[in-house]
Amino acid sequence: MEPTEFDAALGGTEHLPHTANSLKFAAARSIEIATMTESILRPSKTKLIFQCLPVHMRRRVMSHNCKRLPRRLRLGHLEQLKKSGSPPKQKRPSRKFRRRPTNLLNEYNRRQKNKVWLETHIWHAKRFHMVERWGHRLAYRPCDKAFRACYRASSAHCLLQDISYYTPIQIKGQIDSIKDIFSNITSNNCGLGICAKAFLRGNRRGTINLYMKDCYPFGFVGKVEFLWVCMNDSNLELWLFVHPSQVNQVELLLNDITKAGMSMITSSTETEIIATKKRKISTKYSEVQINIKPKLFNRFRLTGPKSHAVLVKSLKCVKDVEKVETNKWIEHSIQKNTNLFLKEKYDYWENVSLVNSPAQMPPGAIIGLVVKDPRLSRPSKRTKAEIKTTKQCNIELLLNNPPYTPRSPLWDETVCDIIKKNKVTNSEYIEHITQTQLVPGEVNEDDPFLQNLPIVLLQRPGSQDSCYKKVGYGSGWDIILPAEYGLPFWLTFIMFGARSGGLRETESVALEMGEIYMPPDSEAGVLEEMRLESELKEKYFKRPPSKRVNYIKLAVPSPFKCPWSVLLKDWSNNKQEKFYVLRDKVVLEELQVCIDRKKKIPHFDNCDACLIPVYIKVEGKGNLTSHAMICLPLPQDVCSKNTVMEPHHTDENLKLRRQKRQEHKKLLKQKRRRQIKLKTKQKLLNQVTKQKVKQNKHELSDYVKNMRELWLPSSIETVRHVPIRQVMGYISKAAFSFSEAKCCGIGYVAFNALNQLLEQKINQVLIRNTTSRKYTLANINIIKSP
Amino acid sequence: MADENNQKKKQDNKNPKRTPNKKFSIKKRLPVRPVEGNNVIFVTKKTNFKAQLDKCCDLLTKGEKEIILHGLGAAIQRCCNLALQLEILFSGTCQIEVNTGTVDLIDDLEPLTDDVEFGAQVRHSSSIHIRIFRTAMLGANQ
Repeated sequence: MEPTEFDAALGGTEHLPHTANSLKFAAARSIEIATMTESILRPSKTKLIFQCLPVHMRRRVMSHNCKRLPRRLRLGHLEQLKKSGSPPKQKRPSRKFRRRPTNLLNEYNRRQKNKVWLETHIWHAKRFHMVERWGHRLAYRPCDKAFRACYRASSAHCLLQDISYYTPIQIKGQIDSIKDIFSNITSNNCGLGICAKAFLRGNRRGTINLYMKDCYPFGFVGKVEFLWVCMNDSNLELWLFVHPSQVNQVELLLNDITKAGMSMITSSTETEIIATKKRKISTKYSEVQINIKPKLFNRFRLTGPKSHAVLVKSLKCVKDVEKVETNKWIEHSIQKNTNLFLKEKYDYWENVSLVNSPAQMPPGAIIGLVVKDPRLSRPSKRTKAEIKTTKQCNIELLLNNPPYTPRSPLWDETVCDIIKKNKVTNSEYIEHITQTQLVPGEVNEDDPFLQNLPIVLLQRPGSQDSCYKKVGYGSGWDIILPAEYGLPFWLTFIMFGARSGGLRETESVALEMGEIYMPPDSEAGVLEEMRLESELKEKYFKRPPSKRVNYIKLAVPSPFKCPWSVLLKDWSNNKQEKFYVLRDKVVLEELQVCIDRKKKIPHFDNCDACLIPVYIKVEGKGNLTSHAMICLPLPQDVCSKNTVMEPHHTDENLKLRRQKRQEHKKLLKQKRRRQIKLKTKQKLLNQVTKQKVKQNKHELSDYVKNMRELWLPSSIETVRHVPIRQVMGYISKAAFSFSEAKCCGIGYVAFNALNQLLEQKINQVLIRNTTSRKYTLANINIIKSP
Repeated sequence: MADENNQKKKQDNKNPKRTPNKKFSIKKRLPVRPVEGNNVIFVTKKTNFKAQLDKCCDLLTKGEKEIILHGLGAAIQRCCNLALQLEILFSGTCQIEVNTGTVDLIDDLEPLTDDVEFGAQVRHSSSIHIRIFRTAMLGANQ
């Protein structure tokens, strides 16, 4: 029998030592320990997390639905899924869950993170196509078919647009120093200056063209609306309303100038007289405060003759101070001793309400009012606002605004803050009404619970030249409201029959009025052009090749973008880096006279780099589209009845394209074969190639790029002599104009081209669309107010 | 206006408003409109004569008891023409009632230089208001 014992003490063979060296003991087993710890830390990855769970914790369909897993493992599980290639498909939470107020609010806040929403955003998002522009999410066009309806609204009824994206900029300081600042960035040739006497009284709004510092006529920034605000009897403030595409540029510009004034102090080591002068200027500039205040106001634009009726019906003025003293902001302004002129304004508004179109008011008038909450005057059903009286308005009031009308407490920021704090939300309003209202339908207008609101109305005169457009088209009111009260006002206007429009309507109204929307010499205009080009290109290349218009055959070098600098280079015979649009009022007026009388036009500085804005109207029938070419007619084209046709041009790229395509097909075949071979050989390699293909999917391959280049060559050297008639300029925006019952367009013509046209004693031009071979005759007019 | 002009021609030369001024440009405002409605037609120089005639005929044949034509200044002649044409077309069944008047128009003086304020001036223009109303029963024309 073999000894069963191991230890010597019990009769075994092994003698155990009396002491054990723990170090030695551990060292002997170090390899073993290392492998064990390693396997604990990094278990072999053959199993997924949910597979490693103990049996009692496993659930069915764990691999599909991660919510079956314990929460602490979910993250790792999702990561594993990501690594394995198939992205984890999370079920969309139920609608009920998503619509819970907190969740909805979170979602709205998440969506607003990288862009700005206007206050009426949600109202618009339900009814409009929304687009992202200038850092905002804006309404582009209504979802219903409303293009013509919107025109009708602007010409006969009331078109309502939310333009709260215009950013107000407040400039405080001495008038002289403000004048000094603006003398650097504006030009007297473009019209009235910012400190013209006509505006300084603060009862008219004006517009002004801004340029980069000392760059005029180059470096156009944009057209900016401004108004002077009388805070007290002596204090004047300047408020600019800047389009969001130009805000950054304007901000930089103003800051640069004020800073330059500051730095003059340090560098003034010249003669004493100059130094003191400079010091004076610099101290002046340091007084000037420039505050940019986005989202301080809401601003709506009402266009059309009935916009006055809509305003009259929805705005109810406050008559007495005693009844409204409980309002916190009125208390505040009474403390500050600002006169509100409530009684006078009430009488004025009553008188003016008899007017039947805003075009009858003084052009650019500013009216500050204090009105009751707009929810009180809202009709229960959507009704058309109409003023039906036989009384005539007092003509004295229409001639000139009384001096108290432009005053408004709205421009005081603390007032705005108080109003914002004490705003009555819709639910609060409804709750209050249902509790206090004894007779349904009866409204207590002097309810102290609701705030009265200061608002400012700005008149837009619309067309004032009956030769150019019918008088009063495009006239309307702009209304400026305190923040948070956008939607109540908006809904009231809508209920009184205003039709809402979006950005498309802004464009189309500008076209109908014959005004420039985004000039190509400004940064914003260039960006807009680029956006449009890429959009149109994308659309073009989505078509199959057989359905694409071959622009090479039609001799249209750039169908989606107007190559201004190439055009000017062709017409001046030397390279033009920069160009500008002519905005000198006197010269424009003179050019119009020259066109009417077929006279020769005078020359001026920088005319090689000058584009002239023109309004094109087709002579008879004929369609016009954007990017159409304005061509120079020959003398016989104008008199003869035969239409000029562009002959077919040969497309030299056709062969190349075919060749390339065949090569590419071959290459693809080879690739496919190779892949099949690889698949059978190695699986790993296959995976690598798969990933590579995935990465390239978003980017265009070289082949596609080359083919596109052959369809539309991107480098254009010349445009003038490509078609049979010389290209004078391009149309940047064109469409059928309802107010003219003809196709009209806004375009730009090189100065030298216009010169040549008038030297031939012709005042008409030929127009050719990008997709057509036909030249149509059109009349040309100068746009005098770019 | 024309009568006044003849009388005041000599004075006009001195009148600063009449002579072209380099400091202002004249912009016209929309004239004040009388009560609008479906049966009120404003005749202008630009609207197509035939189109307006057709519109009036349509209104009258469809049972409108009266239509009112308004004409201002140079459009007075067209307005009269329109009314007379209608009288011929609806001979015997329609009658015409003519009123003349004067309308105050406002012209804005827009400053062209920085040192001038906005201005406005009242101009008078003669106007004509023609009421065309049915005398005979409907259908008598057909």
